Amino acid sequence: MPISRRDVLKLGGTAVAVGAARDLLAPRAVAAQAPRRGGVFRIAGFEPQGFDPQQTLSYRSLTVLSMTHSRLVRVKAGPAVRPGTTPLEPDLAESWSQPGDTTYVFRLRRGVRWHPRPPVNGRELTADDVKYSYERFLTVAGNPARSLLDPLEKIEVLDRYTVRFTLKEPFAWFLDVLASTSMLIVPREAVETYGDLKKAEACVGTGPWMLERHEPGVRVTLTRHPEYFLSGLPYADGVEVAVERDPASRFAAFLAGRYDFGPEYAMVLRRLDLDVARQRKPGLQTAEFVLPTMNMTWMKLDQKPFDDLRVRRAMAIATNWRDLVAANAWAHGHGVPNPAIPAAFQEWSIPLAELPPEGRRLYEYDPAEAKRLLAEAGYPTGFTTPVETTAGYASDYMDGVQAQLQNWKAAGIETELRLKEYGAFLATTLAGKFEKVALGLFSWTEPDSYLYRLYVPGQPSNVGGVNDAKLTEMIGLERRTFDARRRREILWDTQRYLSQKAYYLYGPSFSVVVAWDASVRNFAPNIGHDYGGRLVAAWLDR
Amino acid sequence: MADVSSPRGSTAEVSGYVLHRLCVAIPSLLIASFIVFALPRLIPGDVVQLMLEEQASGRNLDDLRATLGLDRPLAIQYVEWLGRVARGDLGESLWTKRPVLGELARRLPVSLELGLLAICFSVAIALPVGILAAVRQDTVADYMARSAAILGLSVPGYWVATLVIVLPAIWWGWSPAPGWVDFRANPGGHLAQFVLPALILGVASAAALMRMTRAMLLEVLRQDYVRTAWSKGLRERAVVLRHGMANAIIPVVTILGLHVAQLFGGTVIFETIFGLPGMGLFLFDAISQRDYPVIQGANLLIVAVVVATNLLVDLLYAVVDPRIRY
Repeated sequence: MPISRRDVLKLGGTAVAVGAARDLLAPRAVAAQAPRRGGVFRIAGFEPQGFDPQQTLSYRSLTVLSMTHSRLVRVKAGPAVRPGTTPLEPDLAESWSQPGDTTYVFRLRRGVRWHPRPPVNGRELTADDVKYSYERFLTVAGNPARSLLDPLEKIEVLDRYTVRFTLKEPFAWFLDVLASTSMLIVPREAVETYGDLKKAEACVGTGPWMLERHEPGVRVTLTRHPEYFLSGLPYADGVEVAVERDPASRFAAFLAGRYDFGPEYAMVLRRLDLDVARQRKPGLQTAEFVLPTMNMTWMKLDQKPFDDLRVRRAMAIATNWRDLVAANAWAHGHGVPNPAIPAAFQEWSIPLAELPPEGRRLYEYDPAEAKRLLAEAGYPTGFTTPVETTAGYASDYMDGVQAQLQNWKAAGIETELRLKEYGAFLATTLAGKFEKVALGLFSWTEPDSYLYRLYVPGQPSNVGGVNDAKLTEMIGLERRTFDARRRREILWDTQRYLSQKAYYLYGPSFSVVVAWDASVRNFAPNIGHDYGGRLVAAWLDR
Repeated sequence: MADVSSPRGSTAEVSGYVLHRLCVAIPSLLIASFIVFALPRLIPGDVVQLMLEEQASGRNLDDLRATLGLDRPLAIQYVEWLGRVARGDLGESLWTKRPVLGELARRLPVSLELGLLAICFSVAIALPVGILAAVRQDTVADYMARSAAILGLSVPGYWVATLVIVLPAIWWGWSPAPGWVDFRANPGGHLAQFVLPALILGVASAAALMRMTRAMLLEVLRQDYVRTAWSKGLRERAVVLRHGMANAIIPVVTILGLHVAQLFGGTVIFETIFGLPGMGLFLFDAISQRDYPVIQGANLLIVAVVVATNLLVDLLYAVVDPRIRY
C-alpha cells in the first residue's frame, strides 16, 4: 500500500516499518514481468555545474547527483505515483518519528555504505555523517539552498544510528524539504580532502550509482554501487548521461535510438515533435504531467499605476493564458491556468472554480473589461510601462513573453521591453532592482515556497514589495499546521485571498509529455530533479 | 627594386624580424590581459550572484565573495593573476575547480582540428571555383559560382547544420553519435565527427574566399605582364596559376588569416550542434557564468593565437611574393 506524506503524518510518532522502501519500490504496473538486471540507461543530460549539492540549485548538477547521493527521505517514485503528488518514503532513514511540533527523530538504516572510492572507501554511513552534512549545509558559504533549512535550530546525534532535528518553530513542510534533491548527504572526508565537492573526484555518495567518469562537456558515466543499501537495486548496471546542448541534435539522437528517454529536461519530449517521434519509435511510452514552473509577472506595488488594484486586475484580464500555452513548443497548446500555488501541486492548488468571483474573473481574457477597469482607475487611454525580462531561460520562454505583451497591447497597455542577459537579470531584476514590471519564471518543488518566498516581507523573491500583515499571518499559520486537511484549507483560503489582491500575476503552467523507450520498464515521471529516484526501480527489457 | 637572388632576406634578417614582432606582442598581450580581466567584471551580475541564483542576498553574497577571494581590491586580484600567469598557472574554474590550463589544453586541439579542417575545405572549394569564375568571366560557370557564393554567404550555417542533423533522423532514423570520440580510442570515428561541421563551416567561409579570389584574379589578369605572358604563347594554366594567382594570392592569404582568428572563438554554434567540446562553447559558458579565471585564460590564449597567426601570415607574404623583404 502506498504511504503518502499525509499518511505518515497521521502516524505521528509511529515508526514506519523497516524495509518499507524496498516494498514501495517494487514494481506494480508490470508486476507480471520479472525485473531484469543489467543494461545502461542512456540519457540526454546536461553539463554539471560542479558536484557539490550544497553549492547549487541547478538541475544540471542535481539531476546527476540524485543518482549518486541519498537523503533521509525522498519522494516515492514509480508508476503507482500520480505525477504532481509527492508521497514520501524512507531513503537513508529506516524510520522516523515526531515527538513534538519542533522535533524529528530519524533512525538510520544499518549497513549503508558510501561508495567504495577514496577518500571514504566504502565505510558505513552513521548519524555523525548526517549531522556533519546538514551542519555544512547551513554554514558553507555559497549554498543557494540554505534558506530551506532556516527553521532548523540544531541537530544532535543520539547514537550511531539515531539523529534528532530540533526546529526553532513548527514547520509542517520540514519532511518535504528534507526530500528535496538539495538535501543530499555528503561525506566529511571528501570535503576535508578536496576543500569542497566541486570536482568530479569528490563525488562520493551512498546513492545507487557511482560516478565512474566525467568528461567535461561530453558525458557523465555512472556505474552501479555494488553495496547499495536496497539489496537487488538498482537494476541497471549504469547510466550514461550525454551532454548535448542543442535541442535539435538531442531530438535527432533520440529519434535515432541513442537515448532511452525524452531529450529535454525531466525527460520531456516537446509536443511539437511528438508525432514524428511516435512514427519513428514504435512502442514509445508517454505520460503527461504539469510542470510546477510558473510564469510570473512582478509589479512594483509602490509605483503608479500598479499601486491600484484595478490596474493589476486589468493586466490579468488582459492576459490570455491560452496564448502563452499555445506559443510554447513543449506544451503546444496544452497547459493549465495557475492560482498562487501552481496547479501542478494537485493536493494543494485550489481549483479555479473554488476562487471567489473576482478571482475567477482574472482568468477570463477580456480586453474590453480590462480597458474599462483601466478607465475606472484613471487611465482611459491605457498607459506605457517598461517590462524587464531575460532571454536566458530559453527561446520558448520568449515566445510566451511576446504573446503576453501583444495581449496587453490589445488592452491599451504599451510596453517597452528591456531584455537583460541572464546574469544581469539575476543581479538586478530578480534582486528587486527594476523600474515597474518584471517577467520571469519561478519554480520550487514544494508549495510553501510559492507563498513564503514570494509574499513574506524580507524574502529575496518578494521583489514587488508585498507587505500584507494578514497574508503574512496566513502563510505563517499554514507553515505551523501539521494536520494536512486543515493546512489545505488554509492554503486554499490564502489562494482565495491572493486572487482578490492580485499582487502578482501568474502565467499558466505547461502540460508536457514525458517519453521513454519501449524497452524501459517500471518508470514514471514526476516533478523535481530526482532522476535517480525515478530510475532506481526502473529496468531495461532488451 | 627587390634583390630577387635573396628574396626573403637572410636568416638573420628573418630571425630579427620575428624577434621584433614577438617583443611587440608582449605589450599587446599585457593590454589584452588587462582588458580580459576588467571587462567581465563590468558586466552587471557577478559570479557570486549567479551561483546563489534567486537566493542572493547580503550575507550570502559577502560570505561567498570572501571564500572565492573576490572581495579584495581589483588591482590586487589583477596583479596576483598576472603573476600566476607568468608562472604558467591560469588558475581554476570558480564553478568546477578544474585547472583552466588543463581545460584549455583539452579543448584547444578540438577547435584547432575543426578550424584547420574547415579551412582545408574552404580552400579546396574556394580557390578552384574562384579561379574558374575569373578565367571564365561572365559565362554560365561564372554565374553559377557567384550565385553559389551568394547562397553560401546568405544561408546561415547553423540552419544548414540543424537540417543536416535532423532530416536524416526523421527520414532514416540516423544521427551522428552523441559525445566526443577520442583519437586514441577510434581514429576513424574521431575524424568522422569533424567532417560535417568542418564542411559546413568551410562552405560558409569558402563563399567569401571565392569572391575575393575571383576579384583579385580578375584584376591581375588585366595587367600588362599577363598580356605579355599570353602573347609569349604560354599555356593558360601557366598564365593563370604562375603569373596570375601568384600575384592575386596575398589578399586571399590575409582573409584566410582573419578566418583562422575567427574560428577559435566563433564556432560556438557548431560546437553546440555537433557536441564538440571546443574553445568556443567553453568560453561562451564561462562568460554566461562569469567564470573569471576561465574567461581570462581562454581570451589570453585566443589573443596569443591571433598574434601568432598574424605573424605567420606576414611571414607567408614573403613566401608568396618575392618582392617582400624583412
